[in-house]
Amino acid sequence: MNEQIEQDWLDRKLQEAAPYIEDDGFTARVLQQLPTPQLRWQFLRPLILVGMSAFASALTYVLSDGGRFLLVEMFKLTTIPTLWVVAFALASGMLVMAGGIFAAMSKTAHLES
Amino acid sequence: MELTDAGLVARVLVDDDQHAFGELVRRHQSTVRGLLRQLTRGDFALADDLAQDAFVRAYKNIRGFRGEAKFSTWLYRIAYNCFREDARRRKELVGINEEQWQAEQDPQTVDPGLRHDLMHALSLLPLHERSAILLCCQNGLSHDEAARVLEIPLGTVKTNVLRGREKLKKTLAVWAQ
Repeated sequence: MNEQIEQDWLDRKLQEAAPYIEDDGFTARVLQQLPTPQLRWQFLRPLILVGMSAFASALTYVLSDGGRFLLVEMFKLTTIPTLWVVAFALASGMLVMAGGIFAAMSKTAHLES
Repeated sequence: MELTDAGLVARVLVDDDQHAFGELVRRHQSTVRGLLRQLTRGDFALADDLAQDAFVRAYKNIRGFRGEAKFSTWLYRIAYNCFREDARRRKELVGINEEQWQAEQDPQTVDPGLRHDLMHALSLLPLHERSAILLCCQNGLSHDEAARVLEIPLGTVKTNVLRGREKLKKTLAVWAQ
């Protein structure tokens, strides 16, 4: 019996000697020991952002004499040329779209890896 | 369609999906428990405790799985570390020495049956050879993967496999004829 055949025979016997072990509740016991999933920051983040924005807006309104500066700035906006407004809207839209595409691609790459 | 291991890991990472992790446990429990049963020389209760510990550790550290190796290889590494830590605690890490191994080659002590002889011969191997044989020959890992699991150089794995095989062949020479 040559070396390779002997080696194959031994490997085969070793594999045969390791039969499938039935689960018999093993997986359930492992799952019971897992820590409970914690509330993730992803859920809290929008709440914090919205809360902070609302608080900042209220504070600004109160400190700016009832938001008088808003009326002034709105009046200034009406004097901006229409072409500028259109260009600004387009640029903003493209920026947001680029951000969305980048986020989607990062997420896909993460899931694929 | 059945999800791959990588797909299930992604679900655990993104959604903390414990059902997905449960599926990973179901898929790999047999090989991990089998490996640990051999490493602990047939102490089934200890092997199952270590396997449970290994899976819980895998869940807690799943963000450390980079996908560079197969999930099973990563799992074997955790299981082997659990075994090694436990063995250190029990001060049983050092395998039996060559003289002891030679002394136990008395045919009178070997029970009939190839499987039993094989298991007996495996249990007599020093730990470093037994681990290498179990991973490479029984569980089909490449030498490179086994080197990652055992955290030893590739050349050492090859030597350990070679030496372990020689000892097993010597013990089982009667069966191979």
